[in-house]
Amino acid sequence: MLIFRSEEHVENWLRQWRLPRGEAISLDQCWRLAVNWYAPDRREAEWRRKTVDEVEAVFRDLDFTSPFWRLR
Amino acid sequence: MDQSVIDQAVRRQVYQYAMDRGRPPLAEDTARELSMSREDAQASYQRLAAGRVLVLMPENGEILMANPFSAVPTAFLVQTQERFYYGNCIWDAMGIPAMLHRDAIIQASCSDCGLSMQLEVVDGKLKPAEGIVHFAVPVAHWWDEIVFT
Repeated sequence: MLIFRSEEHVENWLRQWRLPRGEAISLDQCWRLAVNWYAPDRREAEWRRKTVDEVEAVFRDLDFTSPFWRLR
Repeated sequence: MDQSVIDQAVRRQVYQYAMDRGRPPLAEDTARELSMSREDAQASYQRLAAGRVLVLMPENGEILMANPFSAVPTAFLVQTQERFYYGNCIWDAMGIPAMLHRDAIIQASCSDCGLSMQLEVVDGKLKPAEGIVHFAVPVAHWWDEIVFT
Protein backbone atom coordinates (compact mmCIF):
# COMPACT_ATOMS: atom_id res chain seq x y z
CA MET A 1 0.00 0.00 0.00
CA LEU A 2 1.58 3.19 -1.19
CA ILE A 3 0.96 6.87 -0.54
CA PHE A 4 0.56 9.51 -3.23
CA ARG A 5 0.08 13.26 -3.25
CA SER A 6 -3.17 13.03 -5.21
CA GLU A 7 -5.32 10.94 -7.53
CA GLU A 8 -3.39 12.41 -10.48
CA HIS A 9 -0.15 11.01 -9.05
CA VAL A 10 -1.76 7.56 -8.63
CA GLU A 11 -2.73 7.63 -12.32
CA ASN A 12 0.76 8.75 -13.39
CA TRP A 13 2.34 5.96 -11.38
CA LEU A 14 0.01 3.27 -12.76
CA ARG A 15 0.74 4.43 -16.33
CA GLN A 16 4.47 4.57 -15.70
CA TRP A 17 4.63 1.03 -14.32
CA ARG A 18 1.84 -0.38 -16.53
CA LEU A 19 -0.06 -1.64 -13.53
CA PRO A 20 -3.79 -2.17 -13.27
CA ARG A 21 -5.66 0.14 -10.97
CA GLY A 22 -6.43 -1.20 -7.50
CA GLU A 23 -8.38 0.85 -5.00
CA ALA A 24 -7.62 4.29 -3.60
CA ILE A 25 -8.69 5.28 -0.11
CA SER A 26 -8.35 8.51 1.86
CA LEU A 27 -5.67 9.03 4.50
CA ASP A 28 -8.42 9.13 7.10
CA GLN A 29 -9.80 5.76 5.97
CA CYS A 30 -6.27 4.34 6.07
CA TRP A 31 -5.77 5.65 9.62
CA ARG A 32 -9.07 4.12 10.77
CA LEU A 33 -8.07 0.84 9.14
CA ALA A 34 -4.68 0.98 10.90
CA VAL A 35 -6.29 1.61 14.29
CA ASN A 36 -8.77 -1.18 13.79
CA TRP A 37 -6.06 -3.60 12.70
CA TYR A 38 -3.20 -2.77 15.02
CA ALA A 39 -4.58 -1.27 18.24
CA PRO A 40 -5.40 -4.73 19.74
CA ASP A 41 -2.30 -5.75 21.71
CA ARG A 42 -0.46 -8.54 19.89
CA ARG A 43 1.55 -9.31 23.05
CA GLU A 44 -1.59 -10.55 24.78
CA ALA A 45 -2.18 -14.31 24.94
CA GLU A 46 -5.79 -13.80 23.80
CA TRP A 47 -4.79 -11.94 20.63
CA ARG A 48 -5.58 -13.79 17.40
CA ARG A 49 -5.91 -12.85 13.76
CA LYS A 50 -9.28 -11.52 12.72
CA THR A 51 -11.70 -14.00 11.19
CA VAL A 52 -13.02 -13.47 7.68
CA ASP A 53 -16.33 -12.30 9.15
CA GLU A 54 -14.53 -9.77 11.36
CA VAL A 55 -12.44 -8.43 8.48
CA GLU A 56 -15.56 -8.08 6.35
CA ALA A 57 -17.21 -6.11 9.15
CA VAL A 58 -14.19 -3.78 9.34
CA PHE A 59 -14.32 -3.20 5.60
CA ARG A 60 -18.07 -2.53 5.71
CA ASP A 61 -17.58 0.07 8.45
CA LEU A 62 -15.00 1.83 6.27
CA ASP A 63 -17.26 1.74 3.19
CA PHE A 64 -14.93 -0.68 1.41
CA THR A 65 -17.71 -2.35 -0.54
CA SER A 66 -16.37 -2.97 -4.06
CA PRO A 67 -15.36 -6.49 -5.25
CA PHE A 68 -11.72 -5.48 -4.62
CA TRP A 69 -12.31 -5.91 -0.88
CA ARG A 70 -14.02 -9.31 -1.12
CA LEU A 71 -12.38 -12.11 0.83
CA ARG A 72 -14.47 -14.96 -0.57
CA MET B 1 6.21 -27.66 26.49
CA ASP B 2 3.15 -27.31 24.27
CA GLN B 3 4.08 -25.64 20.98
CA SER B 4 1.16 -23.23 21.20
CA VAL B 5 2.47 -22.02 24.59
CA ILE B 6 5.93 -21.53 23.10
CA ASP B 7 4.51 -19.66 20.11
CA GLN B 8 2.49 -17.40 22.38
CA ALA B 9 5.62 -16.53 24.37
CA VAL B 10 7.60 -15.95 21.17
CA ARG B 11 4.89 -13.71 19.72
CA ARG B 12 4.84 -11.67 22.91
CA GLN B 13 8.64 -11.38 22.93
CA VAL B 14 8.82 -10.46 19.23
CA TYR B 15 6.35 -7.60 19.62
CA GLN B 16 7.79 -6.37 22.93
CA TYR B 17 11.26 -6.37 21.41
CA ALA B 18 10.10 -4.49 18.29
CA MET B 19 8.25 -1.91 20.38
CA ASP B 20 11.27 -1.37 22.67
CA ARG B 21 14.05 -1.49 20.08
CA GLY B 22 12.47 -0.34 16.83
CA ARG B 23 12.91 -3.61 14.94
CA PRO B 24 11.86 -7.25 15.36
CA PRO B 25 14.41 -9.57 16.98
CA LEU B 26 16.71 -12.08 15.34
CA ALA B 27 16.14 -15.71 16.31
CA GLU B 28 19.23 -15.52 18.54
CA ASP B 29 17.71 -12.53 20.40
CA THR B 30 14.48 -14.44 20.99
CA ALA B 31 16.43 -17.54 22.03
CA ARG B 32 18.50 -15.57 24.54
CA GLU B 33 15.54 -13.71 26.05
CA LEU B 34 13.36 -16.81 26.35
CA SER B 35 16.18 -19.19 27.35
CA MET B 36 15.59 -21.50 24.42
CA SER B 37 17.76 -22.77 21.60
CA ARG B 38 18.09 -20.75 18.41
CA GLU B 39 16.64 -23.72 16.52
CA ASP B 40 13.55 -23.76 18.72
CA ALA B 41 13.11 -19.99 18.26
CA GLN B 42 13.41 -20.38 14.50
CA ALA B 43 10.94 -23.30 14.49
CA SER B 44 8.47 -21.11 16.36
CA TYR B 45 9.03 -18.30 13.82
CA GLN B 46 8.18 -20.81 11.10
CA ARG B 47 4.93 -21.82 12.80
CA LEU B 48 3.97 -18.18 13.40
CA ALA B 49 4.69 -17.46 9.74
CA ALA B 50 2.53 -20.42 8.69
CA GLY B 51 -0.22 -18.84 10.81
CA ARG B 52 0.40 -15.50 9.01
CA VAL B 53 1.50 -13.75 12.18
CA LEU B 54 5.05 -13.14 10.88
CA VAL B 55 6.66 -12.91 7.45
CA LEU B 56 10.13 -14.47 7.25
CA MET B 57 13.10 -13.89 4.98
CA PRO B 58 13.25 -16.96 2.71
CA GLU B 59 17.03 -17.03 2.71
CA ASN B 60 17.62 -17.35 6.45
CA GLY B 61 14.27 -17.75 8.25
CA GLU B 62 14.71 -14.50 10.18
CA ILE B 63 11.79 -12.09 10.58
CA LEU B 64 11.19 -9.72 7.68
CA MET B 65 7.90 -8.36 8.98
CA ALA B 66 6.21 -8.53 12.34
CA ASN B 67 3.44 -6.30 11.08
CA PRO B 68 3.33 -3.38 11.38
CA PHE B 69 7.09 -3.43 12.05
CA SER B 70 9.68 -4.01 9.35
CA ALA B 71 13.02 -5.64 10.13
CA VAL B 72 14.65 -3.77 7.26
CA PRO B 73 14.69 -0.05 6.43
CA THR B 74 11.80 1.01 4.20
CA ALA B 75 10.41 4.23 2.71
CA PHE B 76 8.03 4.52 5.69
CA LEU B 77 9.88 5.97 8.67
CA VAL B 78 7.91 6.44 11.89
CA GLN B 79 9.32 8.64 14.64
CA THR B 80 8.00 8.71 18.20
CA GLN B 81 9.49 10.72 21.02
CA GLU B 82 11.51 7.67 22.11
CA ARG B 83 12.79 6.11 18.88
CA PHE B 84 12.13 5.40 15.25
CA TYR B 85 10.64 2.43 13.45
CA TYR B 86 10.07 1.35 9.87
CA GLY B 87 6.63 0.34 8.63
CA ASN B 88 6.17 -2.15 5.79
CA CYS B 89 3.79 0.15 3.90
CA ILE B 90 1.78 3.29 4.62
CA TRP B 91 -0.95 1.25 6.35
CA ASP B 92 1.64 -0.33 8.64
CA ALA B 93 3.37 3.03 9.17
CA MET B 94 0.07 4.33 10.54
CA GLY B 95 -0.32 1.05 12.43
CA ILE B 96 2.81 1.70 14.50
CA PRO B 97 1.45 4.73 16.44
CA ALA B 98 -1.90 2.90 16.55
CA MET B 99 -0.21 -0.10 18.20
CA LEU B 100 2.04 1.95 20.49
CA HIS B 101 -0.72 4.38 21.44
CA ARG B 102 1.87 7.13 20.97
CA ASP B 103 2.12 10.36 19.04
CA ALA B 104 4.27 9.98 15.95
CA ILE B 105 5.51 11.62 12.80
CA ILE B 106 5.45 9.48 9.65
CA GLN B 107 8.01 10.45 7.05
CA ALA B 108 7.00 9.11 3.65
CA SER B 109 7.11 10.32 0.08
CA CYS B 110 4.80 10.31 -2.92
CA SER B 111 5.38 7.00 -4.71
CA ASP B 112 5.00 8.77 -8.06
CA CYS B 113 7.11 11.93 -7.77
CA GLY B 114 9.09 11.36 -4.58
CA LEU B 115 7.98 14.57 -2.89
CA SER B 116 8.33 14.29 0.87
CA MET B 117 5.02 13.73 2.70
CA GLN B 118 4.89 14.10 6.45
CA LEU B 119 1.93 12.82 8.46
CA GLU B 120 1.37 13.46 12.11
CA VAL B 121 -0.52 11.41 14.69
CA VAL B 122 -1.42 13.36 17.84
CA ASP B 123 -3.62 12.16 20.70
CA GLY B 124 -4.84 9.17 18.76
CA LYS B 125 -5.82 11.16 15.68
CA LEU B 126 -4.26 11.63 12.28
CA LYS B 127 -3.83 15.32 11.54
CA PRO B 128 -5.57 16.32 8.28
CA ALA B 129 -3.14 16.25 5.35
CA GLU B 130 -3.13 16.07 1.58
CA GLY B 131 -2.69 12.60 0.13
CA ILE B 132 -4.27 9.35 -0.95
CA VAL B 133 -3.44 5.65 -0.42
CA HIS B 134 -3.51 3.13 -3.26
CA PHE B 135 -3.90 -0.63 -2.73
CA ALA B 136 -2.58 -2.49 -5.77
CA VAL B 137 -3.61 -6.05 -4.90
CA PRO B 138 -7.21 -7.20 -4.30
CA VAL B 139 -7.73 -8.42 -0.75
CA ALA B 140 -8.32 -12.04 -1.74
CA HIS B 141 -4.74 -12.13 -3.12
CA TRP B 142 -2.87 -10.23 -0.39
CA TRP B 143 -1.08 -13.32 0.88
CA ASP B 144 -0.17 -14.63 -2.59
CA GLU B 145 2.76 -12.23 -2.66
CA ILE B 146 2.79 -10.42 0.66
CA VAL B 147 6.02 -8.48 0.07
CA PHE B 148 4.62 -6.86 -3.12
CA THR B 149 1.27 -6.28 -1.42
